[in-house]
Amino acid sequence: METTSLLPLLILISSLVPGLLILLLREEQVALRTFLNLFGAVAKVGLIAWVFAGYLRGEEYNFIFRLAPDLTFALRVDQLGLFFASLSSVLWLVTTLYAIGYLEGGQHRRRFFAFFSLCVTASTGIALSGNVITFFVFYEFLTLSTYPLVVHRGTDKAVEAGRTYLWYTIGGGTVLFLGVVGLFVVAGPIYFGQTEIIESLISVSPTQLTILFFLILAGLGVKAAIFPLHGWLPISMVAPAPVSALLHAVAVVKAGAFGIVRLVYDVFGIGIAEQMNFLTPLAVFAAFTILYGSVRALFQDDFKKRLAFSTVSQLSYIGLGIAIPGVLSSTGAIVHLVHQGIMKITMFFAAGNIAETYGYYKISQLNGIGRRMPLTMGAFTIAVFGMIGLPPVAGFISKWYLGLGAVEAGSYWVVLVLLASSALNAAYFLPIVYRAWFCEPEHEAVPRLRSGRLETQALLLIPVVVTGILSLAAGVFAAVAGSPLSIAREIAEKLYLL
Amino acid sequence: MIWFLTIVLPLLAAILSAFLPAGRRGPGLIFAGATLPALWLGLVEVPGVTAQWFLLESHFSLDTPRRIFLLLTGILWATAGLFAGSYLKDDARRGEFSFYFGAAMAGNFGLLISAEVASFYTFFALMTFASYGLVIHSRTPSARRAARIYLVMAIIGELFLITALYLAVQSAGSMLLADIPAALAEAPNGPFIFLLGLIGFGVKVGAIPLYFWLPLAHPAAPAPASAVLSGAMIKAGLVGWMHFAPVGLVEWPSLSLLMVSLGFTAALGAAIYGLTQVDPKTNLAYSSISQMGVMTVLLGIGLYGGIPAGLLLPAIALYAFNHGTAKALLFMGTALPARVGGSWRILMWVGLGLGVLAIAGGPLTGGLWTKYLLKTFLGETSLPGAQTFLLLLTFSAITTTLLLSRFLHLLHRIQAPSGNMAPAFLLPWILLLLAGGWWTMTPALLPTELLNHITGEKGIMAFFLNLLTNWAALWPITIGVLVMAFSLKFATLNWWPTKNPLLPPGDFIHIILLAGDLFAKLFRNGISLLESGMQSLQGPEKIFYRISDNKRTSQISASAETLLRRWEFVGIGFFIFFLTMFLLLR
Repeated sequence: METTSLLPLLILISSLVPGLLILLLREEQVALRTFLNLFGAVAKVGLIAWVFAGYLRGEEYNFIFRLAPDLTFALRVDQLGLFFASLSSVLWLVTTLYAIGYLEGGQHRRRFFAFFSLCVTASTGIALSGNVITFFVFYEFLTLSTYPLVVHRGTDKAVEAGRTYLWYTIGGGTVLFLGVVGLFVVAGPIYFGQTEIIESLISVSPTQLTILFFLILAGLGVKAAIFPLHGWLPISMVAPAPVSALLHAVAVVKAGAFGIVRLVYDVFGIGIAEQMNFLTPLAVFAAFTILYGSVRALFQDDFKKRLAFSTVSQLSYIGLGIAIPGVLSSTGAIVHLVHQGIMKITMFFAAGNIAETYGYYKISQLNGIGRRMPLTMGAFTIAVFGMIGLPPVAGFISKWYLGLGAVEAGSYWVVLVLLASSALNAAYFLPIVYRAWFCEPEHEAVPRLRSGRLETQALLLIPVVVTGILSLAAGVFAAVAGSPLSIAREIAEKLYLL
Repeated sequence: MIWFLTIVLPLLAAILSAFLPAGRRGPGLIFAGATLPALWLGLVEVPGVTAQWFLLESHFSLDTPRRIFLLLTGILWATAGLFAGSYLKDDARRGEFSFYFGAAMAGNFGLLISAEVASFYTFFALMTFASYGLVIHSRTPSARRAARIYLVMAIIGELFLITALYLAVQSAGSMLLADIPAALAEAPNGPFIFLLGLIGFGVKVGAIPLYFWLPLAHPAAPAPASAVLSGAMIKAGLVGWMHFAPVGLVEWPSLSLLMVSLGFTAALGAAIYGLTQVDPKTNLAYSSISQMGVMTVLLGIGLYGGIPAGLLLPAIALYAFNHGTAKALLFMGTALPARVGGSWRILMWVGLGLGVLAIAGGPLTGGLWTKYLLKTFLGETSLPGAQTFLLLLTFSAITTTLLLSRFLHLLHRIQAPSGNMAPAFLLPWILLLLAGGWWTMTPALLPTELLNHITGEKGIMAFFLNLLTNWAALWPITIGVLVMAFSLKFATLNWWPTKNPLLPPGDFIHIILLAGDLFAKLFRNGISLLESGMQSLQGPEKIFYRISDNKRTSQISASAETLLRRWEFVGIGFFIFFLTMFLLLR
């Protein structure tokens, strides 16, 4: 516990320092800015890979800084944290490339990239936090550093959306703060994984702990977009595509979902949560959110709005998986953290590419787009099949484990929810695929807004192809050691053996 | 290696041939080449392999019935591929067709060689969704409609299927398909799981009441695609059923009777309904439903107990083999009458006639033999009413003959081209003719135990040339042909529709669509009511806005701020802050 390593701190610094330096640069220092960005992104991926390899060898990486006798800033590397950190760092690298292409010639790029880096620092911080307090600090840091990105365009609509975003997240943060402080008062400082603390206290003060659990859950539920706390997510879609892609498919929403995973597995412990019946309300809310988000998505013609409601729906798979006790469903929930991320980011990239290349924002405009942008739409189609839960795409693996877990636990109603959700996913995603590949375009020659020898600018195309391939590979090679599934399974097995 | 090639080559072919320039005959050869590993696996027994890196750890291996299915499937895809290569040579969407064709082929082969649930489901889904592209190929409104109905039904099927798989894997405690029948036989909810599988795969099989997409979708595709849809892919559902059915392990009288009666309803009903059609391909599609009904009966008998799986399942596979080759022959044959002229037409009619005879179970065909297998098992089963079923089976031979001679008549009406001509795709058609249902009698396909069980010591040739059996097969067919001939000959009896079908194809769907429209209208009204209700309600953020935007709130906060800005407040504030910090950190 007391061995100190600077590596976790270095992982944070790899995006924090570029972020701060970019703020100091001038707007027109494009090359230097790009270099800093990419250097940070590559360094972060490299560092996390290094730490992961070390962790698998059995080494421990802790960084603990005492703020006050009981108050510590702790970074600790464990498998779950590394899993999430790998996801956000790899996708950060991809999205950085995308953003460089996307914002080429745009305004306020310095501000954008600076806060973008800060966001990633925050989300890696969330991943590597060793205790509840540190987690909370980074969680709020994420809230604040995302705001400038949401309002990036500076239009009235964007500012309005930003305001809504703040109301929701600050509100959630306040509730979370109450919960975290309360937990500190009742149980003292809790490092993740020390479930025995709550276990020993649960008989002493069950009521307080129950209230605290649901306070924290509600606070996290805002970012995890659990109904009725999801309202900010579709509205925030005014943000530029890379922001929607990374933050609203991966970093921000996953911070909430990841928090719930930590809360249930590493703070209260699955045993206590089950024994105290904490999980049933979570399951009900998650199941309702899954269906509600899907039904709402059906009626959106705005491409990104439909994706946003789909995110609302898909995120709750994680909550649902956590809420069903059992190794299989836990595996499903944890692996869906990554799977949903890579599939949804693919979709947002695709939506961004279409909007940037042809200026289409509505689904009804997408007739025949597959002919014009085959690679983009090919990747999108893969992601669609994944979202529906069709093999061999990543989403199938998640759904398979969730479904098997539900059957194993005897919660047959969950299977029905999963089926209904698959049907709804098909109902709102397949029409896009149909329009793209099987309908004739309405106008023969449409001017392209982005030049390039490929179907669009290379920097926009490569990321979507990469994440599309990743979505497919995560499913096809699910059994290979080192795949998201194998890691998730290990994490889940450890949870239940302990 | 060969197991992987079986799947990888068709996928490669899909991608490669999509980029071939127009007017080339290449794709045909590419597709035929891609079927070689599958054909090899169908003919030669190869030990199975495990692919630990694929999906959730995959296993590939074959048993006797699936080997028969694989050979059938390989033959059909090879000949259909060659056929398509020249048939669609000048088609504008040739590239897209090749892509979906190859992908569906990979799926079809893959699901047959998969021995475990995840990869089976993967390839089943690949085949299902890739064939959507084949159905919608012509892009006509009717093809779009057919494709939409196909897709909706396919998704419903997939949902039932995945539920059945969840439950089956849970009760088997293993991902191996071979463990499922035994597990279902043991599990208390075994019949329920089987029922889910029955529905899930039933969509693909075209079982009553899930068949109505089939007479729309199969004819909508181009001829070679219809051939594989109706000859090979439809059998994938049957293979799925066989994976679930605990044949010889259980006695499930109600499920058995359900399957047998549904099967006979399909066998007779579809054939009769098909008579009202005027499109030869729709006619054939109804014939497929009818024939799949016969196979449903055969599997249904197995659930009554008493017949070992080792005998019954190969028999079903052989029946499917005969039907598949003949049906593909006829489906591809629908493209011929308009393109074949002169003396080549004799060859064409002989081939078509043989195909019809094979399906109806005529003398000296594979159909005779495979239908005899069915009759033997019907005679052996203790299922109540087995004698009635034998009678019904004979009756279905008459209706099938009627339906298919009607099909020949419909083809006959197509204007022949002048001159002695034969298109290049006649060659693969003849190849398919040669690869017909006679194979079902060769030792390459026929397991020895099954042969011994059916014919005893006498051997197959004695049976095949037996006058009595041939006569028993001939008279229902003669009756069918005569009825058709008379009704065409005499105007008073000739009520056959010529331009429009007497009843719409897809029968049942029209009722469903009417009900669906009504329901959709209600649903949409409900949603819009909900939407308008939601808009008048205020979101939680609006309540915050009301506080933050309120004039009084801003006045209060402004005055509070001026107060706070005064120096004394700042000073006192800092003092308190440092005092607290000191006390905390003390």
